Amino acid sequence: MIRRQFLRNSLGTVAAAAGVHTLSSCGGTKSSGGRGQITLGSYADPALDILKDVLLPEFEKATGTRTEWVEADFSGWLQKALNDGQTKAGAFDIYVMDDLWVPRFAGAGYLANLDELGFQIDPDFVPSALDLGYWPPKNGLRQPGIDARAKSTLYSLPLISDVQLLFYRHDIYSNGAPATWDDVLRMARQKCDPAHRQYGWVTRGVKGNPIVNSFFVMLHDFGGDILGENWKVVFNSPQAVEALEFYLKLLTYAPPGVAEFDSDQEGETLLQGNAFAATMWTGWCRQTDDPARSRVVNKISFDVPPKQVRQVAKLGLFMAGIASSAPNRAGALEFLKWFSSSETQLRFARAGGTPFKMSALKDSEARQRSRWLDATLKALTIGVPSPRTSDWSKVEDILGTELNRALLEKGKAKQHLDAAAAEATAFLKSAGYPVG
Amino acid sequence: MARTLGVGGEWRRKSLPWLLLAPTILFVGAMTILPLGYSVATSFREFPLGQAPAFVGLQNYRNLIGDANFLSSLETTLVFTIAATGIEFVLGLGLALLLRQEFSFQGIIRSSLIVPMAIAPIVVGIIWRLLYNADVGLFSYAAQALTGHSVSVLSSTTMALPALILVDVWEWTPFMFLLLLAGIQSLPQEPFEAARVDGASAWNIFRHLTMPMLRPVIVVALLIRALDAFTVFDQVFVLTQGGPGTATEVATLMVYKTAFRFSQFGYAASMAVALLVLVMFFSAAITRAFRTSV
Repeated sequence: MIRRQFLRNSLGTVAAAAGVHTLSSCGGTKSSGGRGQITLGSYADPALDILKDVLLPEFEKATGTRTEWVEADFSGWLQKALNDGQTKAGAFDIYVMDDLWVPRFAGAGYLANLDELGFQIDPDFVPSALDLGYWPPKNGLRQPGIDARAKSTLYSLPLISDVQLLFYRHDIYSNGAPATWDDVLRMARQKCDPAHRQYGWVTRGVKGNPIVNSFFVMLHDFGGDILGENWKVVFNSPQAVEALEFYLKLLTYAPPGVAEFDSDQEGETLLQGNAFAATMWTGWCRQTDDPARSRVVNKISFDVPPKQVRQVAKLGLFMAGIASSAPNRAGALEFLKWFSSSETQLRFARAGGTPFKMSALKDSEARQRSRWLDATLKALTIGVPSPRTSDWSKVEDILGTELNRALLEKGKAKQHLDAAAAEATAFLKSAGYPVG
Repeated sequence: MARTLGVGGEWRRKSLPWLLLAPTILFVGAMTILPLGYSVATSFREFPLGQAPAFVGLQNYRNLIGDANFLSSLETTLVFTIAATGIEFVLGLGLALLLRQEFSFQGIIRSSLIVPMAIAPIVVGIIWRLLYNADVGLFSYAAQALTGHSVSVLSSTTMALPALILVDVWEWTPFMFLLLLAGIQSLPQEPFEAARVDGASAWNIFRHLTMPMLRPVIVVALLIRALDAFTVFDQVFVLTQGGPGTATEVATLMVYKTAFRFSQFGYAASMAVALLVLVMFFSAAITRAFRTSV
């Protein structure tokens, strides 16, 4: 065989193989109404374990659709999901998102419209959880560029109910949960013993999202807010300054180095029995009773965060949306319908998960297994989300940097909040917000 | 007898070098020039939510010049780069000079010196985060034993950046050591023997022979490390997230946050382009400095 013939034959073989592969792929897509598989992309979080380990196999068995779970760390997954959304690469069918991401993903067209796909909501959804899936938001301010008359549309659904609860040591708080923040401070003063690594309070102090999340509840409880009418920055109001001063006072009873604590160190401090109280995400609840993780098994109780002039909890739900470039949109929709059905939610709750349906949150068997469900439902009903704008992360970064500075200097609350407010106002103005 | 080429033969002769170069040109174009060009193009645009990208001309660059946070992050990056690279060079050179001779257990010692370099930067970050922990970390424990007070290294605006530099020095001094050791061992021995015969002191041999002859290796080592330090990200991300306040906010972290947390892709691209220009300037400065000095 001469060289030219050999080359021609080889090329022919490769082309034929490629053709067969392409045809078989096309055939597969058509026959299964997708690929017979859905790919879920997510950040890694222990709160998702029951979904991954128990519910996904159930879904596969019930529907015959295979599932692939791809996960990365929080920032890594955000990066991947944004890339996939932007390039319409179609690597994922479902994006698992922090609720903060919904405005960005829905606003930029990365998510499929669930209303158009025919998803039906029912009254069993916890309203505050479901509302987070709409864009533009159902209530409150609408960011510039979004038509004020545009109908709110459902783009994503809750996946895990994550909300900040008060975690407290009931062997220390023997009279029950502290009713007010003053009670927390009083107990911290009485029982704090740094020599024996016993602290009255622990929190997240790292700049950015962690410290803003830990200050958020206190800010609202003291009567403050982040943004007022017409996007006016109000987190330097007298109430906000009072809240930050109180927060700094409470931190004198926190472990050293709390300014560098993220939620992992906060949780570990509590689980190792070194702190009496903290406001933490429900995702941590299950670990408190796990002897492999916790030295204070059955010593921690859960409640809604304490009251001051009002009482709120911070919402931070895990959401799930169908990628607008999803290769198997039908399969993804089938999964969302299946997972959000009250029956599946009940099984999810009884397996130890934190559901978003009223009936599952109220189920006595589930509550027996997961003793935080009562507090979770209460917290969801008084829950407040982060401002619904795609620019929140920038504002959060500005506020978080100044809060961190206040924490390091252990004072100058007004000075730091004013500095953050001025920078955030300038940013919002430059981004076209009216900043009334 | 000389062969005469026809028109086709002449064309083949002229185009052959280009044909041979074509795969490389295509590869470099696809892997380097295209993404770079796309970044530059992106830096002239903004991406408003839910709308088509808009051309904004030089607006992103104008904003960049007035952005105090970006300028501050550049300053932090420069301090980090100069300090880390400088210390690594001095330590690496010292170690290379010490360990260039044959001695017992040299294999074990040299191998153990290289271990930090073989660990992934993200893991290095986690190891040092534990070491710096204010409650149970080694540094805090030592400070407690010596002064009676624990120390929160990463929460201190004065200590956080030096702490990050220390991590970089720990991880990358072995690289400098390896490169310089290889350079020293490859130097010809005759000039050194002649200098010793002439009675030159060790310091004079080092100053007038070792350093000038080692200059090309030093330039490469400094360039590689400086460029790497200029784009440091992982350790900062794991250890401080740019805090406390903005004490360790390096430029790459700012680019990352601007792109992926704030979704300001155009502005982030303009930062990246500005950093690229600075890196090129920085590289040229190092090369020129070593070409003219010593």
